[in-house]
Amino acid sequence: MTAAATGIGSSPRRRDGAELLTGRATFLDDHRPEGMLHAVVVRSEVAHGRIRSIDTTAAESAPGVALVLTGEQAARHAGPVPYFIDPAARGGNRADLRCLAVGKVTHAGQPVAAVVARTRHEAHDAADLVRVDYEVLPHVLDAEAALAQDAPRLYEDWPGNVVMHNRYGTGDPDARLAEADTVVSGEIRIARTTTAPMEPRGYLASWHGDTLTVHASCQNPHQLRWMLATTLGVDEGRIRIVTAKVGGSFGLKMQGHPEETLVALLSRLAGAPVKWVEDRREALLAGAREQTHRFRVGAMADGRIVALVDEIVADIGALTAQAGWAMPNMSATTLPSGYAIPDCRIELDIVVTNKPPLAAARGFGKDAAHFVMERAVDLVARDLGLDPAEVRRRNFVPSDAFPYRTSTGLNIDSGDFEGLLDKTLDAVDHPGVRRRQAELRERGRYLGVGLGFELTPESSDSPGTFVSGFDTTTVRMSVTGMVTVLTGVTSPGGGNDTGIAQIVAAELGVPLAWVELVQGDTDRCPNGFGNFSGRSMVVGGGSATLAARDVRAKLLAVAARLLDTDDVELRDGVATGGGRELPVPEVARALLTRAFAIGDIEPVLESTRAYKPGNIDHVPDEFGRIQPYPTYSSSLHAAVVDVDAETGKVTLVDYVMAHDCGTMINPSLVEGQARGAVTMGLGSALSERLRFDADGRLATDRFKSYLLPRAGDVPLLRMVHQVTPSPFTMHGNKGAGEAGVGGAQAAVANAVEDALAPLGVTVRGVPLTPPAVLALIDEARKGSS
Amino acid sequence: MSTAPTFIRPADLDGVTAALSDGDALIVGGGTMVVPELTHGRIRPSALVDLGRAGLAGVTTAAGTTVVGAMTTYTELEHSAVPLLATMAHGITGGPQIRHRGTVGGSASYANPSSDVPACLVALDARLLLAWAGGVREVAAADFFLGAFRTVREPDEVLAAITVPDVTTFGYVKFKLVEGSWPIVTAATVVRADSLRVVLGGAAPVPAAVTLDLPSAGTADPAWRDHVRTAVTEGIEIAGGPWDDVLAPGEYRARIAPVIAARSVARALDEESR
Repeated sequence: MTAAATGIGSSPRRRDGAELLTGRATFLDDHRPEGMLHAVVVRSEVAHGRIRSIDTTAAESAPGVALVLTGEQAARHAGPVPYFIDPAARGGNRADLRCLAVGKVTHAGQPVAAVVARTRHEAHDAADLVRVDYEVLPHVLDAEAALAQDAPRLYEDWPGNVVMHNRYGTGDPDARLAEADTVVSGEIRIARTTTAPMEPRGYLASWHGDTLTVHASCQNPHQLRWMLATTLGVDEGRIRIVTAKVGGSFGLKMQGHPEETLVALLSRLAGAPVKWVEDRREALLAGAREQTHRFRVGAMADGRIVALVDEIVADIGALTAQAGWAMPNMSATTLPSGYAIPDCRIELDIVVTNKPPLAAARGFGKDAAHFVMERAVDLVARDLGLDPAEVRRRNFVPSDAFPYRTSTGLNIDSGDFEGLLDKTLDAVDHPGVRRRQAELRERGRYLGVGLGFELTPESSDSPGTFVSGFDTTTVRMSVTGMVTVLTGVTSPGGGNDTGIAQIVAAELGVPLAWVELVQGDTDRCPNGFGNFSGRSMVVGGGSATLAARDVRAKLLAVAARLLDTDDVELRDGVATGGGRELPVPEVARALLTRAFAIGDIEPVLESTRAYKPGNIDHVPDEFGRIQPYPTYSSSLHAAVVDVDAETGKVTLVDYVMAHDCGTMINPSLVEGQARGAVTMGLGSALSERLRFDADGRLATDRFKSYLLPRAGDVPLLRMVHQVTPSPFTMHGNKGAGEAGVGGAQAAVANAVEDALAPLGVTVRGVPLTPPAVLALIDEARKGSS
Repeated sequence: MSTAPTFIRPADLDGVTAALSDGDALIVGGGTMVVPELTHGRIRPSALVDLGRAGLAGVTTAAGTTVVGAMTTYTELEHSAVPLLATMAHGITGGPQIRHRGTVGGSASYANPSSDVPACLVALDARLLLAWAGGVREVAAADFFLGAFRTVREPDEVLAAITVPDVTTFGYVKFKLVEGSWPIVTAATVVRADSLRVVLGGAAPVPAAVTLDLPSAGTADPAWRDHVRTAVTEGIEIAGGPWDDVLAPGEYRARIAPVIAARSVARALDEESR
């Protein structure tokens, strides 16, 4: 019997699939140590205000309450939360951010106090009794309004509400715009959405003497340990972070959130294990994106784009120590995407407002660049009367031009963007859609097709921050031949552990079932950086490969001696050479139990290696550009939509994604990631939106008001793969965790505009909810009357 | 300080009305609205009266009239032959879990402007049977709903059953933003001898009932569409003006209500397959 394929490029089932599907996996909330207490966070009811006083008397005497903590008390025990990416390190404004507000609150929902009690219900009831007296200050909820000189200031020692202003790009876009045959301009608003993982955040802290163990639903256990050591003033060696199964992260669970320090502190002060699990209303506070772009694009009559100028105002809400505030930088630097436009100027203002902070989110700002660029390309095509597909073809960085340095500094490793375009047009049957569109228009129905190209920089590195572009893995074979892989990358639920196990099994020539993966435990795993930026298979897979090759070399050397030949092969758990076979476990046992008989081979079947991919360059070039990403995935999306012009409702009819993430380790896992990202993009394109009332309180605090797409809203997402290996990574693979958000938004928006072309509609943002689409139709009718 | 509410699960209707007699209890039907509110601590009732075992579920038909027990679930309705309500129940958002729990009586009593049930009951000229410790009274569906989340039911009364006359020709269209959204506008059309009765849900705080002329030149006829627009706009005003919430502004609901009304007429008249 031959086993199902498990090597690189095959899709064995997930190692933990059965456990997950049968509800036996252990998530954060499943950890319930004896004596555990529950924490509930008291959150600000006002968007901006000074805390006059906090009365905790009633809460303290409520049943079951062990501890009530205010910001002033917390500040005596815990320092400011270190930034994942410190704005000061990038020349921006910063503020000390603490686990509980001290003196002032800057958004509704900000933690101001915490209650610890025997049960969650008791903690909730007591939290309701905490009385906070605020001096309410004027607030600002809109980034453009926050830019005004007389706008309320969130951080009084700043000159305004701007975290930083940056300018990117090379060349002389103004001159190119002046020479262009046509200049199209537009304003695009991308509304605030969120990530909404199935499992919200949660932490469980337990102290044993001066040693702290934190179980966390998080992405970056080592950075969390580093951070807690800093805030709590505890030696890092006395902290252990364990990340159990994680039910989705999407960037939200990168650390820097106030509750991480808070829960550890509450446990220390209460003298008992303390758990806090976010509820859905709290999870929905986290923003994922919100930007306004004003752009001008110059093009020649043949469709060649010669200049791009874009002014971005990014609303990050209040400042956060989490990585979320930095996302708009990537919106700027990902422009002009995969198009050869040397003359660009991108101006970026990152602005604070009295809304909850952005948390990092899949796409990490790159999605906004894709959306805006793809809208711009379609507007050029429309203006010139050209086919949008052809305008893309004319402007793509050609396949023979890689590595290609963009105007904003990114060095695209490889790609075949025209190939993606051809595959997409073919898969979606572009001519067929156009024929159906013509037929339906005769009957007063509006079918449209839209394209969205996406260039997805992945596996980032940012010196001096918690963002590292390398990672570390240990591969260890035991005396019985079983393999333990301990890696610094973690799985947010996407299954990279299966991919890494495949790589190790393939390198060692042993069955996949022999390989055990250990992730997310700072006491067991080597130093690493967890999960973000599509890095897990690039650097986790890369370091696992190096370590496995060391072990493999040792096995080969031992087997060569035992088989008395230099020509040994390892396959399916058997060493073969000189016409004889020897099970790999026997080779391992020989080395580890008969080390002196074997001779001068060091008796260790273990290796720890780090992998640094190529193509990262932090030395600014003559234009000040740096290059923080090794790999650039690319994808081309086509959406076919039916628009009900009487109600404004957009129905997705078909969807194709042609995807190129280089070598695929496990295609099924890649498709899982891509479908998730596309669905996230479709939701933000059509229905999702965080809304706030006039006082800055979240109005969309549940899934009946924050509308995620459900299965019935999403057609079969058809995947086409193209493989253009990266020259800068171990297996030629590129990040595959994020691609799809901006491409989906763009494809849908372009499809809606295409559908409603007879009405002359121009799309100006997302989400394209039915009321928004109807408003666009009205606007077009007014414009033409 | 909150304490757990008293939980009462009567075995029959008399037990229910007795438990309600002091007027302080919160009634739990299928629990799809009440239980989440309790979970999140948004309501803190002193007593809960669970109708689950009071024998109020089930559909019986006699002499052209159907009696639907208040605790009849959407799933039971879906598999019943009750005109319009079976169609409505089939499209309830939330999947099998919600359809197995949610009840027609619970939805009527909750009187959420965005729910499917109220407008369908008004369209059918259903009669609602309210029971209290001293007896019963019957209220026409059109008189039952007073405003958003408000009905004529007194705190010591329970909606026990709903009487539905036989209706053969109807059309039901529901407009949602996406699968997971509450209905934004629903339209239930019942065809009468020489007119159409269309009742809109979601458009106003209470169901908006309008009488329309039959479309002699089809439902796409611009003149008939103008007639629908005028009638629906007026009906919405009478029903309290356009309903507005975080999902859709009132002006949008008012705008599409005539469209959804016309589509439900088209369906009732079999212009397209039902």
